[in-house]
Amino acid sequence: MTTYLLKRVLWFIPTLIAISFLAFGLSKCTPGDPVMQACFPEDTPFDEAVFEIEYQRCAQSLGLDRPAFYFSLSAAAYPDTLYRIQQMARRNMLSKLIGQYGNWPQIESYYHEIKRFKTKLAEVPDTVAAYALTNVKADIRFLPLQYKDELVRRTLDSIGVQVNSDAALSQRLGQGYQTLAGKYAAIKAESTPGRLYIPDFKWYGAHNQYHYWFSRFVSGDFGISLQDRRPVSRKIWEALQWTLILNGLAVFFAYLIAIPVGVYAAVYQGKAFDRWTSGLLFFLYSLPNFWVATLLIIFFTNSEYGMNWFPAFGTGSLPDDAPFWSRFWEVAYHLVLPVFCLTYASLAFISRQMRGSMLEVRQQLYMRTAKAKGLSAKAVIWKHGFRNALFPIITLVANIFPRVLTGSVVIEWIFNIYGMGWLTIESIGQKDWPVVFTIMMLGAIVTLIGILIADILYAFVDPRVRYSK
Amino acid sequence: MFFGRKQQKDIEEQLSKRTYWSFAWERFRKNRMALWSWRIFLVLLFVAFTGDFIANDKPLYCKIEGKRYFPVVQDYAVQLGWSKWEAKFLMTPWNEQTFESVFWPIIPYASEQLDYKNTYKGPFDEQKVDSWRFRHWLGTDDLGRDVAAGMIAGARTALMVGVVAMSIALFIGLLLGALAGYFGDDGLKLSRIRVGLNLLFLLLGIFWGWSSRSYAISEGNQAANFFLGLLFIIGLVVLANLLAGRLERLPIFGKKRIIPIDLIVMRLIEMVNAIPGLLLILAFVAAIQEESILYVMLLIGLLAWTGVARFVRAELLRIRRMEYIDAARALGFTQWKIVFRHALPNALGPVLIALSFGMAGAILLEASLSFLNIGVPEEQVTWGSLLREARNYPKAWWLTIVPGFAIFISVTIFNYIGDGLTQALDPRLKE
Repeated sequence: MTTYLLKRVLWFIPTLIAISFLAFGLSKCTPGDPVMQACFPEDTPFDEAVFEIEYQRCAQSLGLDRPAFYFSLSAAAYPDTLYRIQQMARRNMLSKLIGQYGNWPQIESYYHEIKRFKTKLAEVPDTVAAYALTNVKADIRFLPLQYKDELVRRTLDSIGVQVNSDAALSQRLGQGYQTLAGKYAAIKAESTPGRLYIPDFKWYGAHNQYHYWFSRFVSGDFGISLQDRRPVSRKIWEALQWTLILNGLAVFFAYLIAIPVGVYAAVYQGKAFDRWTSGLLFFLYSLPNFWVATLLIIFFTNSEYGMNWFPAFGTGSLPDDAPFWSRFWEVAYHLVLPVFCLTYASLAFISRQMRGSMLEVRQQLYMRTAKAKGLSAKAVIWKHGFRNALFPIITLVANIFPRVLTGSVVIEWIFNIYGMGWLTIESIGQKDWPVVFTIMMLGAIVTLIGILIADILYAFVDPRVRYSK
Repeated sequence: MFFGRKQQKDIEEQLSKRTYWSFAWERFRKNRMALWSWRIFLVLLFVAFTGDFIANDKPLYCKIEGKRYFPVVQDYAVQLGWSKWEAKFLMTPWNEQTFESVFWPIIPYASEQLDYKNTYKGPFDEQKVDSWRFRHWLGTDDLGRDVAAGMIAGARTALMVGVVAMSIALFIGLLLGALAGYFGDDGLKLSRIRVGLNLLFLLLGIFWGWSSRSYAISEGNQAANFFLGLLFIIGLVVLANLLAGRLERLPIFGKKRIIPIDLIVMRLIEMVNAIPGLLLILAFVAAIQEESILYVMLLIGLLAWTGVARFVRAELLRIRRMEYIDAARALGFTQWKIVFRHALPNALGPVLIALSFGMAGAILLEASLSFLNIGVPEEQVTWGSLLREARNYPKAWWLTIVPGFAIFISVTIFNYIGDGLTQALDPRLKE
């Protein structure tokens, strides 16, 4: 038993790591710059020096100032220090340039020349050719973002025209401009696209983003939300409470109703009760719960059809200091419809399973023995049959939780209940990726634990499992 | 008496001709719900295929200034670049043209066509239309889009998602399930050189096909460059196997290793099952900003193959011990031929069951996604998107009832078909 359990638990780890790769990889594909989102939600500060320092600090606090992974397998054309260019937009521009021309030394010196030109530009007093100077400043801001040949050339030409339009400006910047344009021409002249086809393995070690993220994730620190800079764990904890209440109630009611229905359907197999409930449950099983939820909201939560019986949205608005019971009833009243929607779907599933399990047990010899001993039908069914039929149903508990959890995404969204599902969709809308991927990881962990518990229970109930492996 | 004998003989003759599949079909037909579900499915399929002829803003046939047109058919030609619209058709909408004679489709609206005169009109409301022929029979939404036309477009989307997603699932599931079931943990022996070369060439293929050309893929024609890369990778893997076939003859490379393929596939299934599917699809579709139904299909397929694989594996575990497989082996067929020509065709029954339940799941998932307005383009009308609109305007009961019922029906019929198949394809039937 112990070896079996240990084996199961050990398999848990590679699966979790594989899923963490998936989540991390996806989070790297998301559009937008997380640093900008977290620290500069409105606009970039105009003072570039301040911006650069602030950016650096923010990137560091988010752990984004390191290489992405332990190693990289990319073309030899890419330098192994590209990650040190902190600003995402600039890094993208550089890697796009490399992707076109494949010659990092030239591209690097072009990039440095832009910076040098900027410092020179900053030294020019505002009194010199004010109009041209403003234009040059605006152009140079966009130069480090452009990688398409046509756009770069147009920007460079425009800078050139402005610089040469004024003698004083030309005297100060003319030299710098010539070098800058020369460096760009050099990139194109000395391009080495062949280097893009030479594979190169680069090792970065443990000081990387994935390691930082995953080790903190394991220790329970999920990072901060890009939306409001609150810890993700806090947001999730608040949401989790509602999801647990909702799903706990739904699963509880589902079992409460499903077990007797399943047992009776099996006992009276082929009779009217069995046929009717089987038909009804199959019908319920196919009924999409977001449709039922929409129907309920439309017909029972507004006065349009004269049946304004339930509140439509949310979980009530009583203040926290209201008496417990009035708050309790308020919440209960709000949860009637969502819990109903979540219950009926798993109800159908569980009772179908219960019926199948009970049917199997009914054919066992010990049931006949029990009957032959003269026990009452009730005792035979509930004491001898039901107990044995219950085991597979217990293992279902573990499987049903992940199912219900994803099922409640839509229900929470429809009824505006601030649970995990609602948080997921809200965060996707706001592009708050740390929250989204944390929920994804947690969902996977819950599913894995569910599978694990099911396996353990199964091994516990059925000795054949643990001895055969 | 004489006739009776002949009849008896006929029946016997027919019985001897009957195959496993005709028996299965007989049993399937006895299940009335399943049979009706199958018929509804055929209707749905018909509607999805001929949707352009049922609901369209162009007439099927018209005569203008003495000239005959078949605009719906011509539209296909225009989309393929074989034909061009005349200027007058581009300038004026179809319903404002002056026809000498005209024959409209049953629903003279396209799903995305706006009708500002009739917004939020119910089926029984008074509608501002020219004649009964142009009534919105199932009402309109907030932009005046015809719900009936939307339903037909939605049927097409739903079935397409189901079919494409399940095709992907079928391909992966059949391949992996068959390998795992037939070879088990000790049946698959490959030479070291084959394993090594395949891995190496796959890596190099991905590097040269996609990674090196990342600029061309991200800036140029995305899809074309992507598939070009894919072709390159496939070519390279084929090359690796050809090369391995040659090199295997050398004794150093030819040493065989046992691949525990069953273990690998089962772990993979466990891993995929642990991924919270809906969450992954939501996150993925939101992360790649391009909204397209194609990604939804692809993702559902990549997650749904485990069901097929399990069924196939279980079935092949049984089949591989059968005598005819031994016979095929004794006759000297190659292993791959035995798996895919002899064993797999006999395992198709359970696959059908997995497929029909999978279709139900895929349709439901697509509907939920478009209901949440994630992953499906805004302008594409689907059952889920119509249902979403119902929330904004409770008065419009037709926006709730009609699309919801369609989702319900299509999910139900696939569940019933799956249930019917389970009963009809009972393995005991084979003996």
